[in-house]
Amino acid sequence: MNWQAFVFDGFTYLMMLYAFSLMSFYVFIGIFSVGETRNYIRRNSFTDYRMLASAIDAPSITVLAPAHNEGLTIIENVRSLLSLNYMHIEVIVINDGSTDDSLEKLIKAYDLYKTDYFINEQLPTQPVIAVYKSRNLVYRKLIVVDKVKGGKADALNVGINISHHDYLVIIDVDCVLEQDAILKLAKPFLEQTDKRVIAAGGVLRIANGCEVEGGRLVKIYLPEQFLPRIQTLEYIRSFLLSRMAWTRLNGLLLISGAFGSFDKEIVIKCGGYNNKTVGEDMELLVRMRRYMEEQKEPYKVSFIPDPLCWTEAPATYKTLGIQRNRWTRGTIETLQNHKKMFFNPKYHILGLVSYPYWAFFEFGGPIIETIGYFMFIVFCVVGMISWSVFFIMISIFSIGVLYSLFAILMEVLTYNQYKQKRDLLRLALVAVAEPFVFHPFVVFSAIKGNFDFLMKRHNWGNMTRQGFTHRHKTKS
Amino acid sequence: MLLLKLFSPLAFFISLRTIGVVILVFTNLIVCLLIFMLIYMYFRSKREKNQVNYKLISDLLIHKAVFYDGIMLPETLIPVTKRVKKLIDNKYFRNRLTDELVVAKKNITGTSAENLKHLYQQLNLEQYALKNLKSRYWHIKAKAIQELYLMELKEYEFELYPFANDKNELIRMEAQVALVQFNGFEGLLFLDDITYSISEWQQIKLLQKLSNLPPVHVSIDSWLKSSNISVVIFALKLIRNYHRFELHDAVLQCLDHPDPEVRLQAINCFSEIYTDETSIHLISRFWREGLKHQLAIIKALQNIGSENDNPFLLTLLHNDNYEMKLFAARALARSGKKGLASLNDYGSYDNKLNDIIIQVKGELAA
Repeated sequence: MNWQAFVFDGFTYLMMLYAFSLMSFYVFIGIFSVGETRNYIRRNSFTDYRMLASAIDAPSITVLAPAHNEGLTIIENVRSLLSLNYMHIEVIVINDGSTDDSLEKLIKAYDLYKTDYFINEQLPTQPVIAVYKSRNLVYRKLIVVDKVKGGKADALNVGINISHHDYLVIIDVDCVLEQDAILKLAKPFLEQTDKRVIAAGGVLRIANGCEVEGGRLVKIYLPEQFLPRIQTLEYIRSFLLSRMAWTRLNGLLLISGAFGSFDKEIVIKCGGYNNKTVGEDMELLVRMRRYMEEQKEPYKVSFIPDPLCWTEAPATYKTLGIQRNRWTRGTIETLQNHKKMFFNPKYHILGLVSYPYWAFFEFGGPIIETIGYFMFIVFCVVGMISWSVFFIMISIFSIGVLYSLFAILMEVLTYNQYKQKRDLLRLALVAVAEPFVFHPFVVFSAIKGNFDFLMKRHNWGNMTRQGFTHRHKTKS
Repeated sequence: MLLLKLFSPLAFFISLRTIGVVILVFTNLIVCLLIFMLIYMYFRSKREKNQVNYKLISDLLIHKAVFYDGIMLPETLIPVTKRVKKLIDNKYFRNRLTDELVVAKKNITGTSAENLKHLYQQLNLEQYALKNLKSRYWHIKAKAIQELYLMELKEYEFELYPFANDKNELIRMEAQVALVQFNGFEGLLFLDDITYSISEWQQIKLLQKLSNLPPVHVSIDSWLKSSNISVVIFALKLIRNYHRFELHDAVLQCLDHPDPEVRLQAINCFSEIYTDETSIHLISRFWREGLKHQLAIIKALQNIGSENDNPFLLTLLHNDNYEMKLFAARALARSGKKGLASLNDYGSYDNKLNDIIIQVKGELAA
């Protein structure tokens, strides 16, 4: 047996093993997500959330909204947060060194005054310049913090230091929340009797093309632009299938930084957000889980499939690339920080399933895929191309399309946000096109992220947004 | 070719023909899924159209019942059209009508609510609910229980009682709420028997249900001795919400309970029921507790403390924990003029403590 054949065979079977494992995970995710979503819908189909809004024993919640140069929409967005249906709530807006007129606008709109405020620095942060409260009693729930720029994680840590309440809801200030979002997010923390719920995540949906008025979502439309539409499908797949399945297994490693809730006590015990990573959302959750495992305390991370938070997806390849590059670096940094857990039975599902899955498929996927493409070309050139390699590629593509279609089916069977048959067909079309158009770009961005990580580039990147239907400016 | 030999059966399968078959299977699956979705959407939109129609009919019927101005005797029949009588056998219409009736009943009180209950019974809908109680699906059972209690059908109380300790959490929760709905505070007697924990969500639900009812004096002290920790915690919440001062000493005993959550709830309870000596008891246990409980004690002292507690609170200003200092300063400021004066006199080289004192004074002035 010559060495070329040995390399060829070895490569082929490794790829087959990888593809088979990936397909197994797809099947597992499909089955588990159905069970979890069905359970959730059944459990909550006759729940009256209104009673929690006014209950004196309802948990107290702090909404943390970090903002950097959001002057264009900040007044409207803060108003939307203040109108959330919940009694025990405080809203802390952290102005993270904005260079625009965000703060001035807030001071004027909400009649804010500088207050003497002691900040209990449980978490180290950049200095706070001032803390503002409103003279108007209508806005008594609002606290605005002006601080020296330190990034999102740093801004959130300031918010945690200032927060008075037991639970934290983290949201991106430019997201649009459903009115009952907090009620639904609070419930998981109250339901468990044998485990401590340390965090609960909610579904993010794509708001591009939707009608937004006064910080509220008025009409839902499938995005007209190709990239946001393809991300709509991607988000449905990720939130409705993947995260629900991992929740059933109690192995969820990521709650989106744009919308999630946390037990403040555990967050502080874990040291808050890590401002040395660009994936601070994932890193915090992994650290919290690791802490609970090490303390040997039973715990759970919950996830809610209801569409509660709407966000704007990147509409250009440039912004999308920046976002995916950052996500990749965040994943690598998190995995690197917690490598101790890799196949470590001490961490149970976290160490034996969740972490390896992220390492092999979320981090390793784009790398292995790129190697696969490269080798395919090489084998073609040297005339060693085998139908088996071709078979693997076709299978992966087909399974991917099937998986996407299954996600669309789940959406239709559950929340059915896009009611037109035309929308359904457009989503299906996108599912078929994705492996050829969108996916290679995502893989390319991830590889670039790996490269940037090796080059020690840790910048967040400038995200240009288009704004909702009536917004047309950008933020940096 | 060693690997190929090892996997020779695999190599056999990976032939051109197999690949063709695989592609065909996948393509068929994709097409089948698409067709299934389209068919499903077709029937769904048809069902939704029917539902709009059913809702309209239900609303008209409910409207008729709510504004029925005749004398409502047990034998009185609210006029129901032939169409409705016919449609009632249709599962989808029946479910829609029941849902609409339940929602309307939740939001209406008085004679109109009684009329809705009458209509519900007249249409024999409770028989379907009773049938659903025997369903093998927990969510159907739980929904049926909810339907029966929201319709205030107290006559089925005994059918529901066994469910109060059901192994399924949802069924258990709805049955417990049903007992409270039917019997008010006396419905809480299920607490004597339950072996499962009551979640915080359920406790809030029960307290919310009770808050709509006139308070009745029920014996709570036995629940404070329950082996079910959640029952003890719930009892403490009842004592706090309903200001059961006579149970002060029993709550005091809970301060020595082995479960930390019970101790925390007992401390919180003392913010509402207290005597002149409560703060002495709390302070005597202060150093035995962890930070969370210590902060709860100082928070309680903010409400119930007197100037006698000032020496203790002043010592806390030297503590390393700034949250504790802030809480202690607040308690001092609220304890009276002497407390505030001692804060004013408090000279410190600790800038942060000075910030705390400024903040507390600001809060007092606001």
